[in-house]
Amino acid sequence: MMGQPPTPSYDSRHVYHLLLTSRYLTSRIIPLLAIAAVALCVALVIVVVSVMTGFLDMVRDSGRTLMGDVVISYPINGIPWYEDLIKEIEALPDAQAAAPMVETIGVLRMPYPRGSAKEPKMVQIWGIDGERLAKVTTYEETLMWSNIPEQAKPYVELDRIYQPVIESLDRGQRIEILRISPWENTDSMNDSQVADLAGAITNPEWIEHIRYVLVNSPETFRGSLSSDQIVLMQAALAAEEDMPPLQDQVLRDGVTLARNGQPGIVAGIHVSDANRRDSEGDYQVGGGGHWWLPRYEGALTTIPVDASGGTLEPETEILPFVNEFSSGVYAVDEIRVMIPLEVAQRMMHLDQAEIVDEMDPTKVIGIEPARATMILVKGKDGVSETDLRSSVEKAYSSFLDSVATAHPNGPAPPVPGINPSLQILTWEQQNAGFIGPVEKERALMRTLFSIVYVVCAALVLAIFWAIVYEKTRDIGILRSIGASRPGIVWIFLLYGLVVGVIGALFGLALGWIITINVNGIHDLLAQPPGWLAWGLAALTAVVLIATIIKLFSGRILPVVLGIMGTGILGLFTALVFILDASGGVVIWDPAVYYFSEVPNTIDLPEALITMAGAVIFSLVGAAIPAARAADVDPVKALRYE
Amino acid sequence: MNDDRTQPILEAVDLHKTYRMGSVDVPVLRGSSISVSAGEWVAILGSSGSGKSTLLHLLGGLDTPDPGRGDIRFDGRPIAKLRRGDRNRYRNRDVGFVFQFYHLLPELTVLENTLLPGLVGSRIRADRDRARTLLGSFGLDHRLNHRPRELSGGERQRVAIARALLNRPRILLADEPTGNLDQETGREILELLKREHESGLTIVMVTHDRQIADLTDRTVVLNRGQVE
Repeated sequence: MMGQPPTPSYDSRHVYHLLLTSRYLTSRIIPLLAIAAVALCVALVIVVVSVMTGFLDMVRDSGRTLMGDVVISYPINGIPWYEDLIKEIEALPDAQAAAPMVETIGVLRMPYPRGSAKEPKMVQIWGIDGERLAKVTTYEETLMWSNIPEQAKPYVELDRIYQPVIESLDRGQRIEILRISPWENTDSMNDSQVADLAGAITNPEWIEHIRYVLVNSPETFRGSLSSDQIVLMQAALAAEEDMPPLQDQVLRDGVTLARNGQPGIVAGIHVSDANRRDSEGDYQVGGGGHWWLPRYEGALTTIPVDASGGTLEPETEILPFVNEFSSGVYAVDEIRVMIPLEVAQRMMHLDQAEIVDEMDPTKVIGIEPARATMILVKGKDGVSETDLRSSVEKAYSSFLDSVATAHPNGPAPPVPGINPSLQILTWEQQNAGFIGPVEKERALMRTLFSIVYVVCAALVLAIFWAIVYEKTRDIGILRSIGASRPGIVWIFLLYGLVVGVIGALFGLALGWIITINVNGIHDLLAQPPGWLAWGLAALTAVVLIATIIKLFSGRILPVVLGIMGTGILGLFTALVFILDASGGVVIWDPAVYYFSEVPNTIDLPEALITMAGAVIFSLVGAAIPAARAADVDPVKALRYE
Repeated sequence: MNDDRTQPILEAVDLHKTYRMGSVDVPVLRGSSISVSAGEWVAILGSSGSGKSTLLHLLGGLDTPDPGRGDIRFDGRPIAKLRRGDRNRYRNRDVGFVFQFYHLLPELTVLENTLLPGLVGSRIRADRDRARTLLGSFGLDHRLNHRPRELSGGERQRVAIARALLNRPRILLADEPTGNLDQETGREILELLKREHESGLTIVMVTHDRQIADLTDRTVVLNRGQVE
C-alpha cells in the first residue's frame, strides 16, 4: 500500500464520477433545465439551418433545371455553324443532349388594360426549339397550363363563338361599333383615330363591344350589317344561349410554341401582372379568368444588332400567347418569354441569309449561316458539371478546327481567349447571380444563430455554478475520503458532457420533429383549429382555479407560479383567438416566397455539427464551475451542516 | 499488534496553524504536539474554538500546518510534506474520517455511500462484500438501498463509520461523532467505536464532553491551540 508509486490524480479514471453524474442527473430538476436549454438551442439552430438549406436547394434545383448543366454563350452576335457544334457535343460520351437558343431582350405589349393604351413590358426573349430544350431542361414540366383553367373556360368558349363575327367586320362597321359602345370614349375622336383604336384592341374586347350593341341597340346597328353577318351573329347569340358543357381541352401548344401551325409565345407566369398567387400557392387568373393570357396575342418588339454592333430597325412580331411557364424562380418567371428559335433568329437577324454581290444583288456569292447565342448542354447521369464543362471545351476546339476546314470562307465562330464574351460555364457559375445571395443569406443566418452556442454555454455555466454552490459540502466529503482535485473537476466536466450530449440528442429529435412538420405547424398558425383555442382556454381556467385554491395554502411560490402560468396561458389563448378571428398569420406566404411549401428536409451534416458545437460549448460552460469546485477548501466545506 | 502499541503510529510535533479572517491572522494552533500509538483510543478534549477540529484535519491530511511550523508523521512518513496525490491517497487508504454531521451524500444509497472510498480508490468488486459485511455488523442490513434522508441520526452515523472503515484504515479520526445525537444514540455509537477499538483500530476522537473523553484510553486537553 505504501510502496505504490505516486500518481497525481490516481482517481480520475474511476467510476465514482459516472455514479455521481448519473445520480445528480436523475435526482434533481436543475440539470433537466440545463438539458432543456441545450436541447432548445440545438433545435433552434437545426430548424433554421435546415429550412435555409432546403430553400437554397430549391433555388439551386430550379436554376439547374432551367439551364441544363453547362452553357456555352456568345451573346448578341451568336455562334455560326452551331448545328455542327451540337453534333460535336452530342458525340461526347459525357453529354446527353444539347439545345440551341437565341437570347435577347425586347418589349412585349400586354393585352391589358382595356383600350388602346396597352401596357408594355420589358422582357428577356428566349428563342428556343421547345422539343430540344425539353431534352436538356425540365421545360415541359414547367409549362403551367395543361388544361384551360376552369375560370377561363367560358371566356375561351365566347372567343371561339364570336371569332367568325369579329373577322367579318369591316373598317366602317368597327368604327360604328366603337362609337356606340360605352367603354370607349370616342366622342371627341375623328374616324381615323377610332380606326387606330380599332386596330389596337383585343378580340375579347371586341366580343364585349359586339354583344353590347347586339343587346342594347340592335336596330341602329343592323342597318349596316350584311345578311351573311346577320346570320353569323344570330348563330353566335344562339350558340351562347346553349353553350355546350365545357370539355377539357389539353394544351399541347407549349412545347411546340405554336397554335394551329402559327408560332406563339410562352410567357413566364409572372410576366402577366394579372396572375397572382394566393396564400395556398395556387395561381389565380386575374378578372376571374378574363385575363387568362392564352386568350390574347402579344406584340413583341426587339432591336436587332448588326455585326459591327450598330442597331437596325426594330422588328415587331404579333404572336398569340400559347401557354405560360412556372420555373420556380421568381426572377426568371417575371421577365422571360419563350418564342420559337426561328422567329427569334429572324427578329435578331441571326437567321440564315444569302450573301449577294454588291454590284449585282441577284448574284449569290455565299451563305450567311444561322446563329445561336447559347447552347445548353445536359450531361449524362453521374457526370459532374465541371467534368462536362472541360469535355465541352474540348468539343468546342475541335468544332473550331472542323469549321476551318468545312467553311474556309464563311464566318468564323468566336475563339476562346480572343472573344472574351464567349463563355463556357456550368449552370452554377451561370446562375451565381441568384444562387449567391441565398447562399450568403444562409451563411449569415448560421453565423447569427451561432450566438446561440454562447447562450447555451452561458446557461450551462450559470446552472452549473449553482450546482457547484449547492454541492460544496459534497465536494468537501469527497475530498476527505481521498478524491483528488482533478477528480472533482472530472465530475463536473463529465456532468457537463452528459448534459451536452443528452441535450443535443433531444435537440436533434425536437429539431427533426419541428422541421418535418414545419408545414403543419405553419398551417396551424395560419388557421388555428377551434380545439386549440378552447383547449387552451380550458387549461387556463384550470390553472387559474388551482392558483385561487393555492392562495389559501399560505405559500407564495405556488401562487406566483400559478399567476404566471395563468398569464402566459391566457396570453396564448387570446393570441389564438385573435389569430382565429383575423384569419391567421401566414409567415411563409407562397405569394412572396414563391415555393408553395416551406422546405422540410433536415440538413443532417449541419445538424451533427450543431450538436457537436452544443456539446463543446456545454463543456466550456461546465469548465469554469468545475474549476471552482476543485478550488473548494474541504475544511471550510465540511465545517458546518 | 502488541508490538505496535508501543510505537507511535501518528505523531505531530509543534503544530502551528493560522487562519486569515479578513485582514486579521487568527492563530488556531500554537505549537500543539500529540503522539498516538497503534491500537490506542485517544480523546482530544477542548472547548469550542480550542482548535481541536483543526488539529484533527491536520492529522488527517485534509489541511497542512503553517509552512515550516510543525511536522506530522504517519508511520514515520511526513504527511504535511507529501505531494498532493500522495496526500489524497493517504486520506483514502490510511485514515478514515467521521464527522459530527455524518456528511453522507444525499443522492446515494446507504450502500453506495459506504462504497464511495472504495470507488474513489478504485477497488470495486472486493469492496462490495466488505461494505455489506460492515453495514451488516452495524445492524443496517435492511437499509442498504435507502437514501440517507430516510435514516435516523444514529443510523446515519453508523453508515458514516462504515464508510470510514471501508478501506481498512489504520486510524479513524472522529470529530464529535456523538455531537448531533441524543444521549442514548450517542452511547450506541460510542459502544460501536469501542468494539472497533477492541478489535485493534486506532481512534483519535475530538470531543468537548469530558464524560465521553473518559471512555477512552487517554485524553489530551487542548486549550487555545496548545496541548496542556
